[in-house]
Amino acid sequence: MDMLSLLQSKPVLIGLHLGFAIVGIDAFLWLLGKIWDKGGSVKARMITALIGVLAFVASWIAGGYYYVVFYGTLVKPVIKEGLAPWAHNIIMEVKEHIFLFIIPVAITVLFITLLSDDEIENLGLRQVSVALAMIVAGLGLLIGAMGFVISAAARWGALS
Amino acid sequence: MTLTIWAEFSVPLKDWLKSVSGHHWTTKSIFSILLFILFTIIFFLALSNREDKVRTVLRNLAVTTIMGVVVLTLFFSGHHFKWF
Repeated sequence: MDMLSLLQSKPVLIGLHLGFAIVGIDAFLWLLGKIWDKGGSVKARMITALIGVLAFVASWIAGGYYYVVFYGTLVKPVIKEGLAPWAHNIIMEVKEHIFLFIIPVAITVLFITLLSDDEIENLGLRQVSVALAMIVAGLGLLIGAMGFVISAAARWGALS
Repeated sequence: MTLTIWAEFSVPLKDWLKSVSGHHWTTKSIFSILLFILFTIIFFLALSNREDKVRTVLRNLAVTTIMGVVVLTLFFSGHHFKWF
């Protein structure tokens, strides 16, 4: 098996999807604290936001590839015929669509990190910046929990 | 969000979304990127001399994002439990 085939295999894609999402969530949680208490330099905040955005983009690509290529044909039928079809009809449907909210909001926060502390203060952006960083990290955590429910539903579906 | 809900009621729209990229979700992903770029340019031009409005726009972004999550959750729950 070559490296490309390995990266395209189902367990690796799921691992990359989750792993990159955790990096993105952690970056935005750190950023949230720094914006809140006016800590860190502009450069440190900008680099952290950039790491978070790139991690969410990587998670999007890995998860999206898995979803488009494997989920519909291999996983969805098992869940739909199992004990918890709602896990696809509600959880997966919501998850796949709210994921699309994360990256635009995360890039918006990245733009805010280009501002100095004085500019953030003068424009009155502190609270709304904290709220947006919280939304990015919160949506990431919510989507992670949803992914766990979907995986559990697939396992239960396979057993039933 | 509007496109997603509309496509659930319109088979031709969902088929068209699939035909663009091969999968409706991929098409929505591409559209979300293009819309974000478009709105970034629009807001940059519109707000470059209206810095007092930046906070309002960002607050609207936060509110619409949370509302989007709530509306999609209610919509797909209603779809599953046949509320409508």
